[in-house]
Amino acid sequence: MRMVHTNIKNNLKQIMKKIIIIFSLSLIIISGVTAAPIKVVTTTMDLRSITEMIGGNKVSVLSIATGYQNPHFVDPKPSYIMSLSNADLFVTVGLDLETGWSPQLVASSRNAKIQKGSPGYVDASEGVALLQVPSSVNRGEGDIHIYGNPHYWLDPMNGKIIARNIANGLERIDPSNKSFYEANLQTFSARVDTKLKEWTTKMAPFRGSKIIAYHNEWVYFEKRFGLEIVDFMEPKPGIPPSPSQLVKVINEVTANKIKVIISSPYFTTSSSDVVSKQTGVKVLTLATSTGAFNDVKNYFDLFDYDVERLVAVLK
Amino acid sequence: MNIQVILFKIIPVLLFLSGIIFSNKAIAQVDSTAAKDSALLKQVEQQMQANTPPTTPPQQNRSGISANPDIGVVADFRGAYISQGKKNFDAYLNETEVSFQSVVDPYIRADFFVSFARDPDTHKYGVTIEEGYLTTLSLPAKLQLKVGKFREAVGKINPTHPHALPFVDLPNAFVNYFGEDGLNDEGASLSWLLPNKAFYQEFVFQATSGAESSPSFFRGDNNRFIYLGHLKNFFTLTDNATLEFGLTGISGPNDSSRVTNIGAADITYKWKPVQMNTYKSLTWQNEFFYSNAKYTANEMLNSFGLYSFVEYQISKRWFLTGRYDYAQKPFDKNIVEQAYSLTAGWLATEFQKIEFEGKQTNVNVQQDYCQFWLRWIFVIGAHGAHQY
Repeated sequence: MRMVHTNIKNNLKQIMKKIIIIFSLSLIIISGVTAAPIKVVTTTMDLRSITEMIGGNKVSVLSIATGYQNPHFVDPKPSYIMSLSNADLFVTVGLDLETGWSPQLVASSRNAKIQKGSPGYVDASEGVALLQVPSSVNRGEGDIHIYGNPHYWLDPMNGKIIARNIANGLERIDPSNKSFYEANLQTFSARVDTKLKEWTTKMAPFRGSKIIAYHNEWVYFEKRFGLEIVDFMEPKPGIPPSPSQLVKVINEVTANKIKVIISSPYFTTSSSDVVSKQTGVKVLTLATSTGAFNDVKNYFDLFDYDVERLVAVLK
Repeated sequence: MNIQVILFKIIPVLLFLSGIIFSNKAIAQVDSTAAKDSALLKQVEQQMQANTPPTTPPQQNRSGISANPDIGVVADFRGAYISQGKKNFDAYLNETEVSFQSVVDPYIRADFFVSFARDPDTHKYGVTIEEGYLTTLSLPAKLQLKVGKFREAVGKINPTHPHALPFVDLPNAFVNYFGEDGLNDEGASLSWLLPNKAFYQEFVFQATSGAESSPSFFRGDNNRFIYLGHLKNFFTLTDNATLEFGLTGISGPNDSSRVTNIGAADITYKWKPVQMNTYKSLTWQNEFFYSNAKYTANEMLNSFGLYSFVEYQISKRWFLTGRYDYAQKPFDKNIVEQAYSLTAGWLATEFQKIEFEGKQTNVNVQQDYCQFWLRWIFVIGAHGAHQY
């Protein structure tokens, strides 16, 4: 009788052990499921980089545009709709930068979470002090932006505002990790402050340096680092360089002893090269976004890259 | 008077007088210094004012925020030549399209396109609702519903507004089956984004009441509808290249109160280098149409047509498109049209383009003829993105 009782007891123990193991395993699996990262789709690589720094291991981020692509002209491929349809958060530069492609993609995503006005929609430009806000809109002036110049991420101080907006978005859809995002935001902002001192120190000797730019996309960078863009290769935003504009730029380069024409990876340098041949001015293709070149892996690398190359040319 | 008395009387007077003189001098010196200072201050102030950059107005969003929809106008002005008939040359404002587009509320958006177009036969202008539909934004299960009047999901040409095409005329086969206005009808469209992780796949089902003026379909008095199914498959081959393959089936009543069935397939290859996508691109697009129409109890008319074009972007502003058309007439497959066309397009900006097209048409039952068009398209106001 005692033997039988002992056997039953042993069996019960084994069953309990199995139940505990299964329960533990299922808990691990469930916790694994609940800890699935938040799916974020950003329009540009800079937004992706900042989102990764704020979201850490709690997010998986995909950028639609590459870093070496003109963010005004991205083809709205249906494959992007697949990513957007499963996204929890959508982050956009806003200010009509992506007006030719992202609204159509978001509307086609069938995803209510990321529509404008929904918690999962983040306009990274909110709170940015905009420059070049037009007082009237006239397309005779070229490809102007009605809300102001949208290339605001090229001022690292605006990176802090972008990060704040992204943190707000993440906290809206994942409030349980608010402290995590806030801590990362503080780390990010502190790093911006530290790096900005380093960048401004490096650029300090060149404050007031006159330069030429290909397209009107450097105004925030110009203001932050005290450069002076005298003119653009494009006679008007979005209009290809004309012969008369080249002559004008050549005269300006000569008169002001300008050392550099800055351009972006997605513009041809053929017209800038003409000016270079005539005047000896250097043509420098800078990074306008994270991922523009292999060395530019994150938002901080972007300014490291640009500042380093500008300093080398302006010396 | 002794000397002491004189000294005591004179010295205070002298001191007083000298005091007055010195004080006056000092006052004069202070006055002149103050005058100099104020002059300097004025100069400094003037220079400061001259050196101070003009104060920039506070940065504000000056764009009028309103609940008005995005409004745009697209105009299409044409000059045309045809080598046959009495009137060979013509110039006209072909169409003015006014669009109103906006999100209605968190659940739907609305798009309206009103067309002020010239009738090619009567040359009179009329107003039509080219499209007017709502689209849901928040249906579950990756579904999207469209209700209203819309260009139906037949392959690639039909859903595209003509001003966005890289040629002036429409392919012969397309016109033979769907007319100059395309298959554009009232009803409902339900599209489903298939849960395929490997590539983009979308299925569209549309039920419409029947086109008013379509060569293949007819809007009768009875309760018969046009049904359409379209499967779109989109593959990203590389960062720079994509391939789209689509299948379409349409069934609906014709003007003999019997049924016309059309099967269509489309295949499109696009190459566009991501980095320099505003300078170079290539599109090779093809559509095939097969029609099976029953007009009498015993008679079944079958016909076939296709087009194939290659559009090559030579530079930022210049595009060249070559197209081949093959079309059997839907009512008699023995009448065969073949056409060759070449279009040169110049895009001034995103808001203006000029195209010149030359086309040679060979028909096996009549004399060959050629046509030329010059099309000038311009846009004012808002203009949304076209489908990829």
